[in-house]
Amino acid sequence: MMARNLFIPITLGLVIAFLIGPFLIIVAASFSAGETLAFPPQGFSLRWIAKVFTVESFRDSFFMSLFLAIGGTLAALILGIPASYALSRYKLPGAETIRTIVSAPIIVPGIIVGLSLLRYIVVPFQVGITLALFLAHTALILPYAVRVVSASLGNLRSDIEEAAVLLGSSRLGAFFRVVLPNIRGGIMSAFILGFVTSFNQVPVSLFLSGPGVRTLPVDMIAYMEIVFDPSVAALSALLAFMSIGIVFIAERFLGFSRYV
Amino acid sequence: MFQNRAEALALALPAALFAAAVFIVPVVILLSDGFRAPGGGWTISAYTDFFSSSLNQAVFLRTLKLGALVTIVAAVIGYAAAFAIVSLEPGAKGKVTGLIVLPLMISPVARTYAWIVILGRTGIVNQAFQALGISEAPLRILFSETAIFIGLLQLFLPLMIISLISALENMPKDAIPAARVLGANWFQVFWKVILPLTKEGVVIGGTLVFTGCLTAYITPAILGGSKVLMLETLLYQQVSVSNNFVAASVIALILIVMSFAANILLKRVATARNKTTRNTKGTA
Repeated sequence: MMARNLFIPITLGLVIAFLIGPFLIIVAASFSAGETLAFPPQGFSLRWIAKVFTVESFRDSFFMSLFLAIGGTLAALILGIPASYALSRYKLPGAETIRTIVSAPIIVPGIIVGLSLLRYIVVPFQVGITLALFLAHTALILPYAVRVVSASLGNLRSDIEEAAVLLGSSRLGAFFRVVLPNIRGGIMSAFILGFVTSFNQVPVSLFLSGPGVRTLPVDMIAYMEIVFDPSVAALSALLAFMSIGIVFIAERFLGFSRYV
Repeated sequence: MFQNRAEALALALPAALFAAAVFIVPVVILLSDGFRAPGGGWTISAYTDFFSSSLNQAVFLRTLKLGALVTIVAAVIGYAAAFAIVSLEPGAKGKVTGLIVLPLMISPVARTYAWIVILGRTGIVNQAFQALGISEAPLRILFSETAIFIGLLQLFLPLMIISLISALENMPKDAIPAARVLGANWFQVFWKVILPLTKEGVVIGGTLVFTGCLTAYITPAILGGSKVLMLETLLYQQVSVSNNFVAASVIALILIVMSFAANILLKRVATARNKTTRNTKGTA
């Protein structure tokens, strides 16, 4: 049994070091005082973390990514909640086809979605890049929204809303007064999953960039190809803490992992 | 179940029409571009052209090879890690699982960028190699298949581990002790008991990892550079450098077909294994 007692801590230690270690190195490197990216960091300073907030393109692309993540997720939920409701509560002709269409964007690689939008929506219809990015991110989040909201509708007994209708409530009133309060947790979880997915998304946004219009991760890749200073490390660390914070709070208050 | 058909369609159609308009129609047009003949009509010459180039062949094979390698290595490490995690006490199990899932929340750009610090010319690995006297000059690890392999493995390993944890947890608790008591060695226990009972988990994890590798852009772009291409980075180069939209359409279809094929193939493997286990049950 001795061998087994050692097997567990050694395996887990190595795997966790491999998965988390690089992230810790990034955090350490962002506190460096040196000019170039290095580990172990040369000295200690907050200059690169401060620099992140002064790079104008980072600021613009951060707000672009924030807008896409919030706006795209809201739009996906506005489309996705009624669709999930119809799929789980109604006898719907072609339900499987609709489910496939709505969840298709998850199957096809993002880079192809971005390219086809650029070629066949942006160019022929003279659609602005910002709008195209918004459409692309909405389509990308839609499958997650439908999946998570459907799961949470599936956990809710449908006879309580039927009871509300029998007792004289309208179908719409029953939805807003009975169903919606009960799937609030699922909707919030879908929102957070959509937000994180959209915010970290690169391939979809790759071709959809114009003068001054770029998402933050695409901007970071462009920046690191030119400049080799620790500011991208600092920004990466800040973003990672933001994502972890959001997910941690969600898990604490909503039991996020029940839905995802 | 409500019966009102018009109401149901009114609720479901906006989402379906939106996905069709901004996603399905443009993608289908893009894919059809690869079959259009210059003078009108249809042809597959774009595909024969694509595969006649030795560069494209190399990229295609590299993508398949890296995808397969990462999937296999992730499965091996994944079994060891998942096995260790399910044998922990409940409290520790939750915390360790949290640490495994944590990287999935971090931007893939940040996670990939870390490997530049580690694998670069003056990175930790090269410093260690030189300090230990393994090599005189700094090795070129970055911008190679090795770097892409490491980056992809780190990116997708958590998906495999999570799939295997739930598979191992659903396994009957006494299956392994029973096999041991009956005289099976650990290799036989894995091959004849654990693998058949957890095949669904490894198939789900494998599909996620393999298709993830095929369609990863950030990792090959940052760790492979402009020389060591995979299909996604080749597609990007064809569009942004060569303006070759026909080649891009060809690569797009290859990527989609490969993702679907991986899904179908792995489903087949799962059902085939299912049959053999059922048969052995029947004879025993």
